[in-house]
Amino acid sequence: MSRNELSAAEREELDALDRIIAREPVSERHLELAALVDSVRAGAQRMDPAFAARLDAEVAERAERRRHRSLTPRLARPGLRRIALASGGLVAAAVAFTIVISSGVLNGSHTPTSENSPSGTPLIVPRTPSATAAPATSKRSPTIAAPTAGAGAGASNFAASPALHGAARLVHKDSTLTLATSPATMQGVANRIVAATERTGGVVASSNVAIAGAASHASFTLAVPSGHLDHLIATLSALASVRALNQSTNDITDSYNQEQARLADNAATRSALLAQLATAATAAQQATIQKQLNRLEARIAAEHREIARLENQGHTATLAVAVVAGASAAKHAASAGPFTTAFNRGLHALEAILAIALVALAIVLPFALSALALWWGVTSVRQRARERAMRTA
Amino acid sequence: MTVIAAVPTSGPGASEQFEQLYRSSAADVYAYVASLLRDRTAAEDVTALAFERAFRRRALFDVRRGTPRSWLFAIARNAALDELRRRRRSGALLHDVADTSSEFEDLDPDLADRRLLVREGLAELAAGDREVILLKFVGRLSNAELARVLRCSESNAGTRLHRAIVRLREVCGVTQ
Repeated sequence: MSRNELSAAEREELDALDRIIAREPVSERHLELAALVDSVRAGAQRMDPAFAARLDAEVAERAERRRHRSLTPRLARPGLRRIALASGGLVAAAVAFTIVISSGVLNGSHTPTSENSPSGTPLIVPRTPSATAAPATSKRSPTIAAPTAGAGAGASNFAASPALHGAARLVHKDSTLTLATSPATMQGVANRIVAATERTGGVVASSNVAIAGAASHASFTLAVPSGHLDHLIATLSALASVRALNQSTNDITDSYNQEQARLADNAATRSALLAQLATAATAAQQATIQKQLNRLEARIAAEHREIARLENQGHTATLAVAVVAGASAAKHAASAGPFTTAFNRGLHALEAILAIALVALAIVLPFALSALALWWGVTSVRQRARERAMRTA
Repeated sequence: MTVIAAVPTSGPGASEQFEQLYRSSAADVYAYVASLLRDRTAAEDVTALAFERAFRRRALFDVRRGTPRSWLFAIARNAALDELRRRRRSGALLHDVADTSSEFEDLDPDLADRRLLVREGLAELAAGDREVILLKFVGRLSNAELARVLRCSESNAGTRLHRAIVRLREVCGVTQ
């Protein structure tokens, strides 16, 4: 029999004790126990009437204060359950908001005017039409052809763009994205890539789609406003399984500033030559100066073209997309509609949130466990000390 | 067994139910604390402290972990044991509870003798035995509630209770 086990008779006596305490009748052989209980109760210490009155008053006063507070119109103190529910609701709302924002449901045409470059410095995005101009080249290349606007401008209408100083940087973005999808959905994915590119204000510089069973593939060279590149990558990533994503940036601010400085110098030289031309005494002098002016005009025009090319590079990012056939990508239905796309984006957002939560948990958990262990230790020690006090009382 | 509703932490009935718990338990809590401390003044202080703590912590009461009565007795027990520890550290003397034997004078002599005998026997018991008897007889706790207050299993609480009763009988010279 273990230490805690009682015999049947002992258990019966304890049952009888419970009946005695509940003032229920017991058998005759338990009357002695009933008398014992009665004696213990009768001998128990009673409160001094003065103390009892004082305690009554204290409890009544405390209860009255509480009652008064509950009658006073004020915000009720939220319980733990309410706080937990409210926190959960806030988190859910934040998650829903993130999903909606990331899926672009609220704003399908995301048009930021500036964004941060990977180095943390602002990327200049102009508000000129050339920002979304189609590149002239059709082959895949990170170099964007310069638009003709400005290139043919004469020296007389010269107006140099301001040089970029301080934190303002001109950055060219170049990315490659490899997607995998099933051969059956290759055409659908290709169509959606084109549609998504046009929705973000970009153009398809070149494309090549080959449907040939397992060897199906597609490739695209896209030119998109730099500010829309990340959005477009996110959109395309939701169309199929992402096999690879490479992103590179090239800071062209120095080249841009150098061209601007050269243009300013040449403009000053041109002004001086024009002044000399006006005061030239002989026809030979005029001819010499005119030759110099012609050469200078050509250089200025070339510098204008180069500046425009650099600006276009900064404003327009290139994205090379390759779509390959892959069985594992079958789950990515290329025929997915906007809601599926939004759902996929939401999942991506949730993944990101989960990752952040995991990192936060990894940071907080050791502290929480330490605090818990400390609390447990202190409580145990205190309880042991109390039991010791009981034993030695 | 006295059944008391859970102590609500808010709402219009919160204060009333706490007062109900107080009215049904105050005398028992005091008797229990006084038997542990054997000092009337300290027992009064600890009883008042126990109710103050209970009032403050009523938001932490969880009905799944016991009845309000067992919760209250657990608070009172901790407060009383803390007082004992404090006294032991400071070396304070314990003052026996005032002799109240005169209160039995009006009773039948045999009954009065018996009650005095039981009171003296109870005083001779070890504190642990006296505590468990007071919690059961005066506090009217069930064995499950007893286990909750004493932080042991229900079967262990039953065993401790039975052994305490046997010892009380022994010191009182009572035969079953």
